[in-house]
Amino acid sequence: MRSLSIAATGMLAQQRNVEVVSNNLANMNTTGFMRRRTEFHDLLYQNLRRVGSTSSDAGDIVPSGVQIGLGVKLAAVYRIHEQGNLNPTDNAFDLAVQGRGFFQVQMPNGDTTYTRDGTFQLNANGQIVTHDGYPILPNITVPSNAVDVAINTSGEVLVKLDGQVAYSNVGQIQTAIFANEAGLESIGSNLYLETPASGNATTAAPGTTGYGTILQGFLETSNVNAVEEISNLISAQRAYEMNSKVIQTSDDMMGTLTSLR
Amino acid sequence: METSSYIALSRLGALRREMSTIANNMANMNTTSYKGERMMFVDHITRSKSGDFIADQRLSFTRDVASYRDTSEGTIEQTGNPLDIAIHGDGYFVVQGPNGAQQYTRNGNFRLDNTGQMVTQNGQPVLTDAGAPIFFAPEDTNIVVNGDGTISTENGQIGKLQVVTFDRPLALQRAGNGLYTTDQAAIPIDRPQLAQHALERSNVEGVLEMTRMIEVSRRYKSTQSFIDKEDERIRKAINELAKVGSN
Repeated sequence: MRSLSIAATGMLAQQRNVEVVSNNLANMNTTGFMRRRTEFHDLLYQNLRRVGSTSSDAGDIVPSGVQIGLGVKLAAVYRIHEQGNLNPTDNAFDLAVQGRGFFQVQMPNGDTTYTRDGTFQLNANGQIVTHDGYPILPNITVPSNAVDVAINTSGEVLVKLDGQVAYSNVGQIQTAIFANEAGLESIGSNLYLETPASGNATTAAPGTTGYGTILQGFLETSNVNAVEEISNLISAQRAYEMNSKVIQTSDDMMGTLTSLR
Repeated sequence: METSSYIALSRLGALRREMSTIANNMANMNTTSYKGERMMFVDHITRSKSGDFIADQRLSFTRDVASYRDTSEGTIEQTGNPLDIAIHGDGYFVVQGPNGAQQYTRNGNFRLDNTGQMVTQNGQPVLTDAGAPIFFAPEDTNIVVNGDGTISTENGQIGKLQVVTFDRPLALQRAGNGLYTTDQAAIPIDRPQLAQHALERSNVEGVLEMTRMIEVSRRYKSTQSFIDKEDERIRKAINELAKVGSN
């Protein structure tokens, strides 16, 4: 019975939907998290009577034929790169990107990864690193005798050394943008990897045309909208229930068939 | 004598196919821009072998002649994604199919590929009214799609999305993935009504499909019990006739 397997594809799809929603809700307070959305496509159609076939030798064309769909499939889980809220933290090394762009992080294996999570700190050598201790690119070292650090909107790191009046420039933060940000691969820990789908990273100083600016003392919150997620959850659950009812009914219909004498 | 069973059987087959259609509608309840499918039944009239009428009626079998799309518009849902575009009212987007032929869709869930080209989730290019693909430079931010389909960024206008309609929209053939194909000529719509940051949801009404499903299941059962009774009647007739013969 076709309807059994069709309803099964429906239940499977809604299960994925709930999984994506629950991951969004779980990351509601994750810095720089981008919410995901599931996108479904209908499966192939079986032509019991082909559209456009003729119903008589006079050439009458049947208006729509008989097409029976074979269910639904998960087409994509895509990230929505909408700006999250900016939360003030008053921490000198908390940075947020306002607009497009990712910070670049050097992984222990030499790869470059990208992140919107700007919770940076200094390591023992005075290098600016992520909370996992991975240095940001290009490497920036803050001298140990610095008494104040200011990072301006275009990413220049300015320090005031002990006993000096003027700020001196110790480095320039570069941000990366991609033709298709949604094509980046998430590898956890708020980090993304470049893929063939994202296109190559182009880097420039923040504030260049097309690049966002940097805000010191702020963090970007996740862009998850709890109300929207809960309503998605409800609609997914209802759809799941209805598909399970289809399975029950199909089973019922098959049951009457086997009781035929 | 078995004709009544065959008629009931034709009804069982048709009801099973209707059930598949309902199952597909339910499975696609959350599929972007999915249009619900309905079955259309007719009675297929034949003459009985003897040419006689049974109770003034000719024999009529059930036949599902057509499935048709409910083309009503689904609700428009805000998504917050700049490349999500919903069509309000009539119309289809034009995308380039795998073999170069044009395909049509109402699913405006677009994205950019690695070259900055605007494509569907399956990577098929979306076409402008000039039949050309749409490209964005990496520096193009603030993509704005106006209600009439013109796309612009802060660096200027890029093109106008092609939105078309057809003389016989029901004759479009579904190709899966939310795509339609047809050999009809596409008629461009000059002033489509588009909504950016939004998608058209499926127009399937869960509650209505449920009631349809219950109806189908009841009809199926009653037809089945009819076959049972018919079987009993024939059995009885054979027994009775046999008795007459042995006397």
